[in-house]
Amino acid sequence: MIETFFSSIFYIFLFMTLYLEVFFLVTFLEEREELVKRALWGKLSYYPSATIIVPVWNEEKTVSATVHSLLRLHYPKHKVKVIIVDDGSTDHTWEIIQKFARNSRITLLKKENGGKHTAVNFAIEKADTELVGCLDADSFVDKDALTEIARAFNEDREIMAVTPILIVHEPKTILQKMQKTEYYAGAFLRRMLSPLDGIFVTPGPFSIFRKEVFDKIGIYKRAHNTEDMEFALRMQSHHMRIRNVHTAHVYTTTPGTLYTLYRQRLRWTYGIMKNTLDYRFMLFRREYGLLGMIVLPLSLMGVFIFLYNFGFIAFYASKNIVGKIIEISVVGVYSSLPHFNLFFLNTDFTSLLLYILLGIGIFFIWNGTRITEGKFRLTLSVFYFVILYGIVAPLWLTRATFNVAFARGTKWR
Amino acid sequence: MRTKIETKKYLIVLAITTLVFFGALLVSNHFSEKRLAEIKSIENNISLDILSSETQFALLKESSCKAIDHSTAFSEELNELAQKLSYMEENLGDKNADVLNLKKYYSLLQTKDYLLIGKVNEKCGIKPITIIYFYSNRGDCADCKKEGYALTKLREEYPELRIYSFDYNLDLSVVKTMKSIYLIKNTLPALVISDESYYGFKDPEEIEKIIPQLKKIRQAREKATTATSTRK
Repeated sequence: MIETFFSSIFYIFLFMTLYLEVFFLVTFLEEREELVKRALWGKLSYYPSATIIVPVWNEEKTVSATVHSLLRLHYPKHKVKVIIVDDGSTDHTWEIIQKFARNSRITLLKKENGGKHTAVNFAIEKADTELVGCLDADSFVDKDALTEIARAFNEDREIMAVTPILIVHEPKTILQKMQKTEYYAGAFLRRMLSPLDGIFVTPGPFSIFRKEVFDKIGIYKRAHNTEDMEFALRMQSHHMRIRNVHTAHVYTTTPGTLYTLYRQRLRWTYGIMKNTLDYRFMLFRREYGLLGMIVLPLSLMGVFIFLYNFGFIAFYASKNIVGKIIEISVVGVYSSLPHFNLFFLNTDFTSLLLYILLGIGIFFIWNGTRITEGKFRLTLSVFYFVILYGIVAPLWLTRATFNVAFARGTKWR
Repeated sequence: MRTKIETKKYLIVLAITTLVFFGALLVSNHFSEKRLAEIKSIENNISLDILSSETQFALLKESSCKAIDHSTAFSEELNELAQKLSYMEENLGDKNADVLNLKKYYSLLQTKDYLLIGKVNEKCGIKPITIIYFYSNRGDCADCKKEGYALTKLREEYPELRIYSFDYNLDLSVVKTMKSIYLIKNTLPALVISDESYYGFKDPEEIEKIIPQLKKIRQAREKATTATSTRK
């Protein structure tokens, strides 16, 4: 009886997950012609002026490369200004960025430490260009990124913000390789959410805004250490259009160890849930479109659904593992090796559904990689993602749910 | 202007999702039915073979023991059948009517084979190597799974060994009779070897000790293997 109850919930959640995957699949079919327009790179009829803010805090190792990538942008030099804001670094960041002091396109600012969003706000108030954007000091832009973003702004006057495709920069550890594939899947989903006005985050690495956005709805404000999400939600609540441009590429460094990844994802997950709660007036409101009806409810419920499904599958998997351990302890490793027989290929309902969900998921990764890199290659990263993500993600999802439930905050680092 | 929700798209997606979801259910059921049919077919084959052996035995009587070599017949088939049936039981549940029927039929076939091999061996003066195994999968027998693995290993190693496994709780008169003949208590797993009952988990080594013939078979096999490799 209890088992039937839990199984029923599991199947309802599987149905919902399948619905969402099919939804993205259908959107992909609608969008596929837009996605093949990749080789658009070329001159624009108009280059809007842009200010790129680089907030830095103890980033002595990466800040130079970040700024150099901005200086190499294929964009008219007189149209791009860079403001580096040192948010009270305690290392040699300030000394290191002095080498850019003589560059007329670069402004250096220093302030007391107050958090990333205060550094960005500090610079926004000084910006006088048509576009204003931010680039975290652990990220590097592709030389055509700004041109591609400006192209999107030129094509649609109603677009108020453009986000790029994020690519993991030089992944070294297994976890970074896992994230590489995760980012491809994310790139696909973000690109699919874009035409449906479903984007709920304008990430730190190179999201670009029209300056008027800040004039109309204000600057960044403290929001559970995920100010990028709050700002995107504030824009969405004002029905401001945010688009994702898959031809604009930005490379970002990702956490290399489980602990740093855990801290980052805990902050993100907690932030998504808390910001959604702050903007709960948008939930299930048809006027907010897909965002209000599906994306935001899922950003709250999704964590729970993931954890429930994970728990359910883990429960049965552990039963099987215990069974296998018992078998090995009785008959030894050799005799317990499975003999291949089609009869024993698992085709029960749950397994079939999981095969389908996994298959569609891999299709998303495949297409995410294609729209980013141009072609898909089966690498170990895909394997790490498929195998590891389901194991490590519950760590921060569980903790974030706990923190939201018991009103505990998160730290930046 | 925000992109409007297209109700039509949401409904189409719902229709596709429902189709895929229930499609998976239908495909899964289809595979289960195919598997059950395969088990049924194996049972029918074994039934036919047993009937054939019984008839052959009745025709030849004891005059020609060599003509009836029943010592290793069906052992492999019964082993395969047991594994497949146990797999289906795990997947469809032990209360599934089809699984229960196949299990009853399987128990009957085992009993028939047990009787036949008893008769053949008695008339031909051979002591049969058999194990009757009673188990329960109602969650009240912690060691039954372990015993199952141990017996499967022995079964694969010694095709001459015939293992007859019976679900202690199966509602079948033949199983009840077997239980009463060997006075089996509800302390499972229970093994009957040479008319003697053993309770609790017995690993393959312990069983080999209880049945000394197994050791002889192994030694004879090892001797034969050595002779073959020497000849090479």
